[in-house]
Amino acid sequence: MSLILIAALPFLGALLPGLMIRSGRTACAWATASVTLTALIGLLVHAPAVMRGEVIQYQLEWMPLLGLNANFFLDGLGLLFAGLILGIGLLIIIYARFYLSRQDPMGQFYTYLLLFQGAMVGIVLSDNVLMLLIFWELTSLSSFLLIGYWKHLPEGRQGARMALAVTGMGGLALIGGMLILGNIVGSYDLTVILQNKELIQASPLYLPALILILLGCFTKSAQFPFHFWLPHAMAAPTPVSAYLHSATMVKAGLFLMARLWPVLAGTPEWFYIVATTGLITMVLGAVIALFKDDLKALLAFSTVSHLGLITMLLGFGTPFAAVVAVFHIINHATFKAALFMSAGIVDHETHTRDIKRLGGLRHLMPVTFTIVMVAGLSMAGIPLFNGFLSKEMMLDAATEAAWNGNHWLVPALATLGALFSVAYSFRLIVHTFLGPKRDDYPAKPHDPGFGMWAPPALLAVLVVLIGIMPALMVGPLVATASGAVIGGDLPYYSLKIWHGVNAALFMSIAAVVGGLVLLAMHRPLDAAWIRARRPEAKAIFDALMRAVTGAANALTDGLHNGAMTRYAAVFTLAVIAAGSAAWFGGTNPAPAREALAIGPVPLIGWILLMVATVCMVAYHRNRLLSLVLMGIVGLIVSVAFAYMSAPDLALTQISVEVVTIILLLLALNFLPKHSPVESSNARRFRDGTIAVLGGLAVGGLSLAMLLSDFSQESISAFHLANSKPGGGGTNVVNVILVDFRGFDTFGEIIVLGIAALVIFAMTESVLGSPVGAWLKQRPINPLEAGDRHPLMMVVATRVMMPIALMVGVFIFLRGHNEPGGGFIAGLIVAIALVMQYMASGFDWATARQRYPYHMIIALGVFAAAFTGIGSWFADRPFLTSNYGYFQIPPMGEFELATAMAFDVGVFLCVVGAVMLGLESLSRFAHRAGDRPSPYPMDIDPSRDLPQEAKDA
Amino acid sequence: MIQADLTIILPEILLSLYAMAALLFGVYTGKDKVAPLLTWTTAGAFVLVAAWIGLNGEGTNVAFGGMFHDDAFARFAKVTILLSAAAVLLMSQDYMERRGLLRFEYPILVSLSVVGMMVMVSAGDLMALYMGLELQSLALYVIASLRRDSLKSTEAGLKYFILGALSSGLLLYGASLVYGYAGTTLFSGIIAAAGEGQMSLGLLFGLVFVMSGLAFKVSAVPFHMWTPDVYEGSPTPVTAFFATAPKMAAMALFARVLHDAFGGATADWQQILALLSVLSMFLGAIAAIGQRNIKRLMAFSSIAHMGYALMGLAAGTVFGVQAMLVYMAIYVTMNVGTFAFILSMEKDGQPVTDIAALNMYAKREPGRALAMLILLFSLAGVPPLVGFFGKFYVLRAAYDAGLAWLAIAGVIASVIGAFYYLRIVYFMYFGDEGEELDGGKSPVLWAFLMASAAAMLFGVVNLFGIEGAAAAAAATLVN
Repeated sequence: MSLILIAALPFLGALLPGLMIRSGRTACAWATASVTLTALIGLLVHAPAVMRGEVIQYQLEWMPLLGLNANFFLDGLGLLFAGLILGIGLLIIIYARFYLSRQDPMGQFYTYLLLFQGAMVGIVLSDNVLMLLIFWELTSLSSFLLIGYWKHLPEGRQGARMALAVTGMGGLALIGGMLILGNIVGSYDLTVILQNKELIQASPLYLPALILILLGCFTKSAQFPFHFWLPHAMAAPTPVSAYLHSATMVKAGLFLMARLWPVLAGTPEWFYIVATTGLITMVLGAVIALFKDDLKALLAFSTVSHLGLITMLLGFGTPFAAVVAVFHIINHATFKAALFMSAGIVDHETHTRDIKRLGGLRHLMPVTFTIVMVAGLSMAGIPLFNGFLSKEMMLDAATEAAWNGNHWLVPALATLGALFSVAYSFRLIVHTFLGPKRDDYPAKPHDPGFGMWAPPALLAVLVVLIGIMPALMVGPLVATASGAVIGGDLPYYSLKIWHGVNAALFMSIAAVVGGLVLLAMHRPLDAAWIRARRPEAKAIFDALMRAVTGAANALTDGLHNGAMTRYAAVFTLAVIAAGSAAWFGGTNPAPAREALAIGPVPLIGWILLMVATVCMVAYHRNRLLSLVLMGIVGLIVSVAFAYMSAPDLALTQISVEVVTIILLLLALNFLPKHSPVESSNARRFRDGTIAVLGGLAVGGLSLAMLLSDFSQESISAFHLANSKPGGGGTNVVNVILVDFRGFDTFGEIIVLGIAALVIFAMTESVLGSPVGAWLKQRPINPLEAGDRHPLMMVVATRVMMPIALMVGVFIFLRGHNEPGGGFIAGLIVAIALVMQYMASGFDWATARQRYPYHMIIALGVFAAAFTGIGSWFADRPFLTSNYGYFQIPPMGEFELATAMAFDVGVFLCVVGAVMLGLESLSRFAHRAGDRPSPYPMDIDPSRDLPQEAKDA
Repeated sequence: MIQADLTIILPEILLSLYAMAALLFGVYTGKDKVAPLLTWTTAGAFVLVAAWIGLNGEGTNVAFGGMFHDDAFARFAKVTILLSAAAVLLMSQDYMERRGLLRFEYPILVSLSVVGMMVMVSAGDLMALYMGLELQSLALYVIASLRRDSLKSTEAGLKYFILGALSSGLLLYGASLVYGYAGTTLFSGIIAAAGEGQMSLGLLFGLVFVMSGLAFKVSAVPFHMWTPDVYEGSPTPVTAFFATAPKMAAMALFARVLHDAFGGATADWQQILALLSVLSMFLGAIAAIGQRNIKRLMAFSSIAHMGYALMGLAAGTVFGVQAMLVYMAIYVTMNVGTFAFILSMEKDGQPVTDIAALNMYAKREPGRALAMLILLFSLAGVPPLVGFFGKFYVLRAAYDAGLAWLAIAGVIASVIGAFYYLRIVYFMYFGDEGEELDGGKSPVLWAFLMASAAAMLFGVVNLFGIEGAAAAAAATLVN
């Protein structure tokens, strides 16, 4: 059978249980089993070829761009693991048929199980590391579903979460490691990677890759310090524990270490990380296992311990140790799966797994007792059982390992691990099955049906057969699989019971004796263990999670507290940092010109500007005062423009300044007079510092820019040269506005008009809403509303009105050649009109308004448009301007340009827009009690008061 | 001449005309009563335009003297933008209507912002760039504060607007510096000016400021500050919109500016991008751990994802751009599904955003829970789901470009990030018994959730062929 089919079969077959469950539970189980059986047969067909040393390959391109190919290969190691996965899988399927109760949704269970099986087979058959990663994470996913199968158990949830968190994150780390590995070699194909030992070990990225890969392996195989998740995952149904947590999934980490052994092993880093971790895990797991009362927890920790043992063997990096590791993988899978299934039987029949509530089951459950006896003795490493053989060889390998020059540490600790292993194995047998019969079992124990004990019994038979005739039973398999791990010639070893009297034998005897002594002393030791305060891995995990969450929250709350100022501060600092990076990263050109000498007038202006600015920052809480200071700043800026020979800009600046100040004055109506102090001094200091930094940075940058040259000549020379001949005016700014870029201006005035209309529409809708009603109800403070139309102001504005209008016309007319123009003129006229509103009142002004502002805006836009269209009649494109000179007798020669008509449009539009906007906004100030004053101005504020008040 | 230009930009013109016509139609007929109709027709229009662009577009066409590019890159981005916007619109209709949020301006604003995005990804000139960006942003500012009677929504809109204006100003400042020191606003001219040896200081400043402005739009750390607040404060459909189409547009624009205008100065921007990327990945991963509000969580998640997309961009290679495009397309698909799920989270008709409310969700809604599980695993980048391929693409691009440290940092960040995605899964499958959410009723949301999850699952076969399109797109951009 093609390799891809073997890997795909469980996935495809996963559909079957869901369909077959309708035909009954047995049919469902048979369907599932037949899928696995087919895959197993397909695999075994290849076995002879693999045993001959061939490597069977299957290749399929998937995403070649990414280097992802669906390549599979089968060598000895793959055969061993795939055989274990499918073989034990078959037994588990049969076992589960009888284990699961009628209420459990069996179809779902088998579906998950087959998915998991497919993922596992995929891992061991993949030739592409990316494929391997994919299957790797699939096992996490499907195991998550399996562990969480019994959703009603609270500890199941905790276990599932921890298992998922630990193995999931480990898997992601593994991805990183694999990517690095693939990149070092330049291929993601395992067969290629395995050829490149020197390249990989010489790479500077060897260590990061190794650490990341090992993280993945250690988390998956529950190695210290990630060992804690495995026992907590035991809440899963027993078939799951037996399958995932002893025979297959936890061995995926071991598989990967074995798979990459040829390229990663052999370095001191490998030895110290892998062997040390394995050693610690082995001893720690064994010690904890002895004190667990839950049957499955005991087995779980013993699994941890044995996984540690295998890890340690792989970590030694010697070919002999690798052979032992492979051999122990086989042995462990057989006896541990049998033990798990037996523990499940005990649980199933007695309804408890607590060792302290069990004992004396020997006569009640003779079959189960026999199975546990055989498997347990094998786990303890007693001769005639397979566990003994690999343990002897392990101890043999350990005697040759030197840890940092120390020759006795590893063997001593290995013996200690074996000693505890003996102790808990015997405890399992003795405390559960031996001793007197009890009469307080939660349920009446008896042996289960054949279907349930047959699978573990089969494994127990294997345990004995391998134990007695190792070379015959598994010799070729061990040889082929170890050959695949080592990737070279096999070392000398022999699989037999009697190796003669050697160090390992003495260590083994010491372990058995010591273990029995420990068991005899179990009661006092257990009491001491319970009393002792020891670090609980789960508590540490939870505390770690809490700490991490707390730290994350602290970071988030500190950064994102919702305050705008903080966001702005971060933004500003980031920009300053980016700017400094550019400044220090680039080459600074030499200044192209000298800075101008600072004369007394600019100096005074600068000082005024600074003083006004600083005062504004200092007194900004008084809003009226800050408006005044803002006016000063604007004024000085305008003067600066004038001083720097930019009269147009100066005029524009000052008119815009006036309009904005008026707008702000309007806004003051709705604001409190003073802003309250809200932030602490420290905070203001911080913000001030950031602001000063930002200001200095912008200032410095501007200075640098001003002193250097731009890439090309400034465009002003072109305009100066072409303004008169091309546009008929000497005022370059105006010519640009109304002629060179007239089309832009045309767009802009339309936008300006629309903006004013929008302001109008919005005020209308707001004033018509509940907000408007609320605004109208604001109380009037009579003290503040003293003079409504002060005499002086009314008179002054009325007198100024014609003068201002004349100035506007003057500015407009001179605009084409001298500073001025429609825009500025519009602003000036608008200001003159606004003054009337302010001084004489809204009603007075409105009564005298003949043309609505909407119409003025429209007129302006039309004027501009018709000027533009006019040029069509002269067969010119839109807005082509023309000009000519005319003689008007008393006044002399006179220039008229079509651009002036356009400028009229600009003028009207600006007047209309500013007036409409301000008028609309000012309507917010209306209050319900407002009555138009019967008098044009306030001559005597007391004239309306009753006579008595006047007398008083 | 102008005829040819207009033909090239015809999709954008038609969509703008559609938006204006829809506005008039809405105003003069039933106003908010026609909103559902407008939502559906707008989505339909998006799909049509996407099909038109995707199926008809060929070669590289340049309009308006280089200001507007219609090439494979732009088309890839546009199709993604249009389709995701259409999906989000369809998802929002029911949700917003039931809560009285569905104003007829909503689909119109969305289509205007989509036009802006289309201009952005086609921009060949700083002016076109700014025009597209602002059209998009202005529409988004309004949409963010669509729920005017909610304090959070208006606050979000205001914050977004102020910070957005700040960043636009910065971008504009940078653009003017670039213009000053390159003498042109055309990307083709800038690349010529920037390519001659060491870049001048002014250009460098321009580049840095333009990048800062764009980083704000893609919400890369440290310019991300607005993201959580806006995501949380906006109505959920709007959040869904924010998380999808504009991200794609901004990322594509980022790529275009860097490669078309500053392609010769990779070294100058690579380190900045790498820094933005690594900061985004880590902050996004770490900050999301403590979040209880799923919308805020998604905000940090999107920040982290932008970090990965930027990683692809930081590679500065064709493969990097391709990786970024693939990543973004996958990211957008995942987010559509995830938000379809979030939109269906409700209790007694009220939207729920606390992730604790998902306790034991799988028991009541196994199908939805499974779909969400797939999406979350995909978001976490767990193989074999499609999300993994996106991550793998960018990691490889970064690694190949010599940014091994960045790739390793990306892996570590994804390990951290997996934590909070898995926590949601944990809640759904193993949480404590608590208050139960109602099952969502909307078939549209269900369909999008399932379709997106299915895409994550079946996309592993060949990623639906987007690889090839992305490769072609990247090849037109980088040369």
